[in-house]
Amino acid sequence: MRCRDTTIRERTHLRVAIDTGGTFTDCVYLAAGKLHVLKVFSTPADPSLAVLDCLAQTGEQSAFDLRHGTTVGTNTMLERKGARVAFVTTAGFEDTIAIGRQTRSRLYDWFAPLPNCLVPRELRFGVPERVSAEGEILRTPTEGELDALVNALRHSGAEAIAISLLFSFANPETERRAEAALRCLGLPISTSHRILPEFREYERASTTVVNAYLAPPMQNYLLQLERCVTKQYPGSRVDVMQSSGGIIPARLAAQEPARTVLSGPAGGVIGACHVARLAGFERIIGFDMGGTSTDVFLADSAAGGAQRTNESVVAGVPISLPMLDIHTAGAGGGSIARFDAGGMLRVGPGSAGADPGPICFGRGTLPTVTDAQLLLGRLDPESFLDGGVQLDSQSTRQIMREQKSSLATVEDFSVGILRVVDTQMEKAIRVISVERGYNPREFTLVAFGGGGPLHACSLARALRIPKVLIPAMPGALSAVGILLADLVRDYSRTVMLAENAIESIRDTFAEMEQLAATEFSREGLQGTALRSIDIRYRRQGYELNVPYASPASAVEAFHRLHQQRYGFSDAYKPVEIVNLRLRIIAAAEPWSPAYQEPVPGDGHVALYAERPIFFDGKFLPSRLYRREAFSPGDAIPGPAMITEYTSATLLPPGCRAQVDSYRNIVITVPA
Amino acid sequence: MTHTAADPAKPDPVDLAVFQSAVHSIAEEMGAALRRTALSPNIKERRDYSCAIFDGLGRVIAMGDHMPVHLGSMPMSVQAAVAAMAFAPGDIAILNDPYAGGTHLPDITMVLPVFLPSHDQPAFYVSNRAHHADVGGAFPGSMGPAREIFQEGIRIPPVRIVRGGNLDREMLDLILMNVRTPQEREGDLASQIGACRVGEQRMLQLAEKYGEQNLQPLVEELLDYSERLVRAELRTMPAGDFSAEDWLDDDGVTAVPRRITVRLRFDPAAASLNIDFSGSSPQVAGSVNAVRAITLSACFYMLRCLLREDAPATAGILGPLRLETPSGSIVDALPPAPVAGGNVETSQRIVDVLLRALAQAVPGRVPSASAGTMSNLTIGGVDPRTGEPFTYYETTAGGMGARPGIDGVSGVQTHMTNSLNTPIEALEYAYPLRVRRYAYRDGSGGAGQFRGGDGLIREVEMLADAQVTLLADRRKFRPYGLQSGEDGAPGGAWVLKAGTTEETEIPGKWTQRLSKGDILHIETPGGGGWGKR
Repeated sequence: MRCRDTTIRERTHLRVAIDTGGTFTDCVYLAAGKLHVLKVFSTPADPSLAVLDCLAQTGEQSAFDLRHGTTVGTNTMLERKGARVAFVTTAGFEDTIAIGRQTRSRLYDWFAPLPNCLVPRELRFGVPERVSAEGEILRTPTEGELDALVNALRHSGAEAIAISLLFSFANPETERRAEAALRCLGLPISTSHRILPEFREYERASTTVVNAYLAPPMQNYLLQLERCVTKQYPGSRVDVMQSSGGIIPARLAAQEPARTVLSGPAGGVIGACHVARLAGFERIIGFDMGGTSTDVFLADSAAGGAQRTNESVVAGVPISLPMLDIHTAGAGGGSIARFDAGGMLRVGPGSAGADPGPICFGRGTLPTVTDAQLLLGRLDPESFLDGGVQLDSQSTRQIMREQKSSLATVEDFSVGILRVVDTQMEKAIRVISVERGYNPREFTLVAFGGGGPLHACSLARALRIPKVLIPAMPGALSAVGILLADLVRDYSRTVMLAENAIESIRDTFAEMEQLAATEFSREGLQGTALRSIDIRYRRQGYELNVPYASPASAVEAFHRLHQQRYGFSDAYKPVEIVNLRLRIIAAAEPWSPAYQEPVPGDGHVALYAERPIFFDGKFLPSRLYRREAFSPGDAIPGPAMITEYTSATLLPPGCRAQVDSYRNIVITVPA
Repeated sequence: MTHTAADPAKPDPVDLAVFQSAVHSIAEEMGAALRRTALSPNIKERRDYSCAIFDGLGRVIAMGDHMPVHLGSMPMSVQAAVAAMAFAPGDIAILNDPYAGGTHLPDITMVLPVFLPSHDQPAFYVSNRAHHADVGGAFPGSMGPAREIFQEGIRIPPVRIVRGGNLDREMLDLILMNVRTPQEREGDLASQIGACRVGEQRMLQLAEKYGEQNLQPLVEELLDYSERLVRAELRTMPAGDFSAEDWLDDDGVTAVPRRITVRLRFDPAAASLNIDFSGSSPQVAGSVNAVRAITLSACFYMLRCLLREDAPATAGILGPLRLETPSGSIVDALPPAPVAGGNVETSQRIVDVLLRALAQAVPGRVPSASAGTMSNLTIGGVDPRTGEPFTYYETTAGGMGARPGIDGVSGVQTHMTNSLNTPIEALEYAYPLRVRRYAYRDGSGGAGQFRGGDGLIREVEMLADAQVTLLADRRKFRPYGLQSGEDGAPGGAWVLKAGTTEETEIPGKWTQRLSKGDILHIETPGGGGWGKR
């Protein structure tokens, strides 16, 4: 991080990243150029206890630069435990926060549950006012009308306020007046022209409401954490990971909690990108397979790194802030396989979860992906979680035989389950690659999570991806990402200008940069500003984001990108500028793990067993290796399996694995 | 490929699942391509389109989860195109004729034959359909109160828009010359062509992956599978006849109500269903005539909702169904009857009637009537800011009928449509209009043990003189409640002329030139209640 007092601070502060997970809280830190990893049990009732525990376990007494990945935001959304939010909008539009886009989520289900709006009816308030598309104030509330609003809110029992008026991004004056009037209530206020000054009223309002909904719990949590940390370790600072993959000071995060909803998963993406880049891979598809679901994402260094989106939906609620574009498929290791009424094999979305879990864990009675892996010899009963869980092959085989339907053998059934689940993974990867105009063959598959390395090679083969990377330290990848992420703050504004007015955006950009500089300097930071614009053909319903250096270069880049993404472009067609975007980045201090000169080897030190594993219709004798016993330069051919504490990498015949200088496993997959 | 123990030639449950997923994802990818590249808000913002894959016999094998009203009608369009022309590689057909499998003229369909290297006949067809905001005719938006289909816009039989890989510029010019917003149409048509090509590429890759000779057994198994799902469900239904009727208020020409009547005959032993619409009104002078394709879509929709599984929409679902529609009736119109409203209004009433009959067979599994009208609003004129013509089209949702055990949802699209609203800020940028109110219509849902969802209120002010057309129903005949639940409130609409204070009520099917400053106020119906309060 480039701070004003860089020299002093970097020498005395220990940079540490702590990522709260469901079961474990992961901690990584750099000491004397070396990366240390700690794992403690999470403390769901008060996640900060595990964080402080981690800090204590480092044994350091100095001040910390603590960077935190938190699940407080996500869990508050999922459990619907946020603040009672009052929603203030243009009179006549109070219900729009509930109406949304007036669609139903399940097309052929007459019994879909009632939607659960974050703002109950009695907390929706209208202000008599109107701004036009051009930013002209057509009607402004009188002082009396604002007083009435304040009084109505005072007795509503609201704990936070979200203000989102129509076209407030085009002219925020009325929103500011309403905000000023409501200040006297002493409640946290989120205003749409600050949170998301962009057009499309429902998505802007929804984002603003999420921010207000999360404000009290996140402020409590983050500010309390900051107090505890600075009290115990004076001079420390606390930063938080945002859903966009950038770090932000805790105090700003507490003001804009909507930006940190997917804090933890963002760490995993950034971690995977860093590790892959060190290993020499600039274009990657990330594949993180867990117990109930699987996350996939795409990153291309030439196109600005990990792909981001402004159209996320979290726990059923749209949030239109920049977030890493993580696509989730509803299948993982615990997904249940069954034959439906028409006789087709289905896997997921039902999951055996932790209880009862897969059959092989001893209590389950329904076949899962994990059971299929076991019967095909792809789980090593002894090394699985260091032998911490006994796997029951016998009863798994018996129950699977009873449920295999018309399939000839339990192996056919198991192979079938894996084929079906791989098909779902393949579909998810196509969504983030092919549907976005990228060819997966030009990427490297980076696999992690409990199940990723088991499925990676077959998936790579199906997508014709030539290389697979299994990163070192897969269990702490998310914390590593948080440790290495840049400090980033995003700003945006809808302008909706014709091409011939493009010159006028210079002033708006200058204004945005001024605001950014002020906010950054308040935190003692300096950053580099990156300008970009969202642009589209006039009257088109969809805009593309391109870097902005000059009007001409941006327009040219747009035509090129349109051609690449959609297969056509027209340099003579008029365009319009929809949004301006500004991203301020203070780069994190780079770090490279220890480089070890590779020494060609066959990995025999790591070899610990030979077992039959099922590949392509039959069991083949296969070698089992312990990952931690490998040295850089070791190379082994498939069929083989490489085991580690939380995961195992499957190497089918024809594939070849090599351990690189940073202890990543790089697999070559034949076409 | 692995095989079942029983029949070595038949694809097993795994092959089936993998193949089903693959073709479905192709239909979804076509949809994603179409949405991303389309020019008009109607396709991008409202998502009024569908994409599907067909086998060489024109049987649908995969359809994206898009618009239910296209379920049965897309296949009929493809069959009409296949019957009408001898396709050569690189051709793409275009059509919108409702009397050739279309729904109404604004829905333009494209069909691309997929030729595999060793075949001289198409092995597959890929197709997409999108609602265009204007296709010419007497009224902007092509949804006005016409008396003949010729007044509703340009009618395109199956013809080639692309020949041997090259765009037929003459055909395109002919179409564009007949519409009000040619630039926007050209952009949308280009994205439809692009989406067809995405589908073609992916089908060719699929054939390469599987081997051409292995595809047909998979297709047959997929169709069989869907049929097995439906038959398994039909075996659980009570035997017997279940009849119902409901009414359209009028046809927009006279005030005479029009009847739709149906008889469902379930035969669980044969696992079959016979649906007979005999007794429905003859076709009418106004535009609420539904072609048979729409009636088939409604039946397809009902069957799909009845299935407990998330079943793929293939031709197999219709296997156990026998559908009888009286020719020349309001549910099976003949040319030159106008049909714009059949797609959006009558289609919903057909569903209402089907569900009313179904509720007698399985009362605990069927919701009360939903709004039953799409309250279509079309506004066209010249935008004073640019001097260019514009056409705006929007449907306003109503209340969902109460379900046994749960209230109906308020202000939500139901049954045959699921198009999104246009964001107010997007529409005010694009058109000389100002939205003044958008709210729930309190108390409009029918009371009952479970309440029907409320309808919506929407007010739009004209910022320029414009031709305004409304196409709505459920004014006289309210959305029914079930099991003694009360009916939902009827819909309504009013015009407030600029500078006056008196609102004039307007009929459901109406067109008029409004002036700058006039305000249109629409209220949509609530859903019916369920069970005695």
